[in-house]
Amino acid sequence: MPEKVIRVPSLNDLAWDFQQLFLIWSQANEGNEDVRFDFSHCQFLRPNAVVFLGGLARLIESRLRTVIFDWNTLQNEKVMTNICQNGFAGIFGHTIVGWDGNSIPYREDMTLNMNEIMDYLTYNWIGRGWVHVSERLQNAIAGTMWEIYANAFEHSGTQIGVFSCGQHFWNQNDLILSVVDFGRGIPANVRNFFRQYVDENQISKLSDATLLKWAFERSNSTCMGGVARGLGLDFLKQFIRINQGKLEVYSNQGYAIVDQAGERYENIRNSFEGTVVHITLRCVENLYQFQGEVQLPI
Amino acid sequence: MKLSIRDKIGPRCIIKEDGQNIYDQIHGSLKNGETVTLDFEGVNQFASPFFNFAIGQLLKDIQEDKLRRLLLIENLNETGKLVVERVIENAANYHGDKDYRKILDDILEQQAKESD
Repeated sequence: MPEKVIRVPSLNDLAWDFQQLFLIWSQANEGNEDVRFDFSHCQFLRPNAVVFLGGLARLIESRLRTVIFDWNTLQNEKVMTNICQNGFAGIFGHTIVGWDGNSIPYREDMTLNMNEIMDYLTYNWIGRGWVHVSERLQNAIAGTMWEIYANAFEHSGTQIGVFSCGQHFWNQNDLILSVVDFGRGIPANVRNFFRQYVDENQISKLSDATLLKWAFERSNSTCMGGVARGLGLDFLKQFIRINQGKLEVYSNQGYAIVDQAGERYENIRNSFEGTVVHITLRCVENLYQFQGEVQLPI
Repeated sequence: MKLSIRDKIGPRCIIKEDGQNIYDQIHGSLKNGETVTLDFEGVNQFASPFFNFAIGQLLKDIQEDKLRRLLLIENLNETGKLVVERVIENAANYHGDKDYRKILDDILEQQAKESD
């Protein structure tokens, strides 16, 4: 089968970098060729890029095409060390096995395995000692982050699972978690839900940013069946806001950011089918708060 | 009736399936006006899907004041209490028959305002 070479640039976690990832997604989706990722121009690869490329590789493979990560093209030692350390390179053909360091393992979940995911969040992510919080608050944070996985598995319709990766950055003192699925996307899911009640003409007027905003509001849920839902994202965004973190969600053409300044929703130029949830926590001692110190939430 | 959640579920009250399991065990007794105690000793991680199904859905056919009188919760830490309270509040305000046409009109009106 003919092969398509996709060059991976240096990728940070700013809006431009996500746009590049969505362009790579478009490139990879076009045609039926096998894909080779070339890293000769890559000098930096944040966990959002690692997890996106990993999930994308599985997506392409699910369509019976081959994906090769051409590690020989990766000249930057820091990037190489990092993706070997978090296990990503080993999963995709490199001989080196991951080890503990300041990276958080890359993982692929085909199913919603509660104990494995909670162990990952509790012991490999928040419980690594980078964020100085009590054990009780660690448990609370892990439970809040769980909602991301629950939403991804329950609502996205992903056929290839959910992908996650994180990292601790000493310089900025940030703790990152990035979770990606290549399902329908939140706006597409909400749009489908509204189709039961209103005609297509009305639906077509809704922007992806508007639909994302609806999904982020407390009590709003596309789940049927008579059980009140719609609290997961609400818990998450309140925790992030109070603790000076940042929550960003890219889904279809919608973008949401929740931080100390509030929450904003925008439409972006390059869309993709799926959802990226990207969380940044500040590792500042005594920053994290619990009930009694603040009104809400966890 | 008293249930040890740790014995029934384990130290993590996270997923809706476990919540449904607890609901199935307590719903009948509560409906009959019996007191039920849920003991959360040894449980330290919580998420809303568990409580939506274990407790939130009880409000489908049991009034909130009756539920609060009959359902006793012991040894639940602050995190769990926050989630339970939010779940009860959410379930009490839940209406399965929302007017989505009206909701969509409002959303479109808001969208138009924001794009001005």
